[in-house]
Amino acid sequence: MPAASGGPLAALSNDLAAAVETVGRSVVAIHARRRIPASGIVWQPGLVVAAHHTIQRDEEIGVTLHDGSTVPATLAGRDPSTDLAVLRLPPEISATAAPPASFATEAPRVGQLALVLGRPGPAITAGLGIVSAVGGEWRTWQGGTIDHFVRLDVAVHDGFSGGPLVDAGGKVVGVNTSGLARAAALTVPAATVARVAGQLAASGHIARGWLGIATQPVRLPATLRRGLGLESEAGLVVVNVEPESPADRGGVLIGDIVVAVADRAVSDPADVLAALGGERIGQPIVLRVARGGKDERVTVTVGERPRGRR
Amino acid sequence: MAAADAARSDVAGLEGALAAVADALRRVTVHVRSRGGQGSGAGVIWSRGGLLVTTAHVATGGAPEVVMHDGRSLRSRLTARDPRRDLALLSLPRDDLVPALRIDARGLRAGELLVAVGHPLGVAHAAALGVVHRAPSGEPGPDGWLQADIRLAPGNSGGPLADAEGRVVGLNAMIVGGLGFAVPTHVIERFLEEVAGGRGGGGARAA
Repeated sequence: MPAASGGPLAALSNDLAAAVETVGRSVVAIHARRRIPASGIVWQPGLVVAAHHTIQRDEEIGVTLHDGSTVPATLAGRDPSTDLAVLRLPPEISATAAPPASFATEAPRVGQLALVLGRPGPAITAGLGIVSAVGGEWRTWQGGTIDHFVRLDVAVHDGFSGGPLVDAGGKVVGVNTSGLARAAALTVPAATVARVAGQLAASGHIARGWLGIATQPVRLPATLRRGLGLESEAGLVVVNVEPESPADRGGVLIGDIVVAVADRAVSDPADVLAALGGERIGQPIVLRVARGGKDERVTVTVGERPRGRR
Repeated sequence: MAAADAARSDVAGLEGALAAVADALRRVTVHVRSRGGQGSGAGVIWSRGGLLVTTAHVATGGAPEVVMHDGRSLRSRLTARDPRRDLALLSLPRDDLVPALRIDARGLRAGELLVAVGHPLGVAHAAALGVVHRAPSGEPGPDGWLQADIRLAPGNSGGPLADAEGRVVGLNAMIVGGLGFAVPTHVIERFLEEVAGGRGGGGARAA
């Protein structure tokens, strides 16, 4: 008989299987779309984190736990900008039936083993690759802030989105999704999950700052730029001010050209959104505007964007 | 420095173990060519007495040619074939073969390392590393397959899929959506029992 001494290979294999077994108890199947279910992770007692793009209906959502039982769940909230959603399990579900996963506190490193778990049905599934890129904070195309850019070199199979990226020690590094960048395998890191899921569980939505203006980009005439000492070639002309909005109360007028918000030049409406994180709500913010050829400063107290408004 | 040395020896140990597993698997893997070029793939030495298992779509009929790891080419006899389970049994007039180590695939856990050997796209005795994607349920039906997150290609068919200790857990049979689907060992054993018992039930037919 050919004797193959598995030694360290068998040890690694056991570690990987043990990590799958441990974390797998916190991985659930989510039935909120047609065909194949998506995955989710028990984040805190009674709360499941999932990928927003896999939750295609707001009601009649089922969650299959590791023991194979399926229970109803309600949608606590969703944040398309980070592709995260939070589901609430029925109160009678115990921590044994749905134990919360243990999350890593540090960002992953390029080259570390990437164990990806899913539950696209009753059984747990696993895939292995490596973390291929890690970067700093980035902003998704829908304006969400992700604490670290984490890209994986793994094969994306059914149940990938909403499943965890697990390190060799059995800690959850983040929530995987193919919904943030053209189906590329990305991971929303634990820090972002904690921040966004915390807000979703508490208030059902992600609070964002709001001014109440609509703007569009305009080229700034050379004479105006010289006169005001502006470096940027473009600004944002205010085309609408919502009545009784923070901007209205602060004195912003239709026709004002916004050139800077909080000392940062703006030339695209997304630049204004970027300056309006939830932490700004209730705080004064200074808009530098060109009004009738003159340089003006308008102070606005940032409000909270009404629900359902972009 | 001690930490760096330890890290280096870990990698060397892993590589050594992986090489030993791949080498043992290569020795029990054959190349199977059916007459007329209908089927081509791999097979696994199952007994000292000359029994080899492969997939039914590799052993399509006649007297398939079997090329051993050392390059010897032998004419085999197609003893039994079960297209439903995608399995076939070949026999060689030998009594000195070294068979593959085996283990019941129903004991596998998702995440365990797997090694495959075959002839993907004609590259002889090539090895691949992956993990158990979904362990076989033990029940017949679509969940009865052993699913592997591993990069396979045509030519791996009929070849072994083994655990981290080189024990065969299944025969690679098809690629579905990038996943390797293998016939688990307990299904192979059941097929062989039916053939030995001379029963045609279950789809095993003497050929």
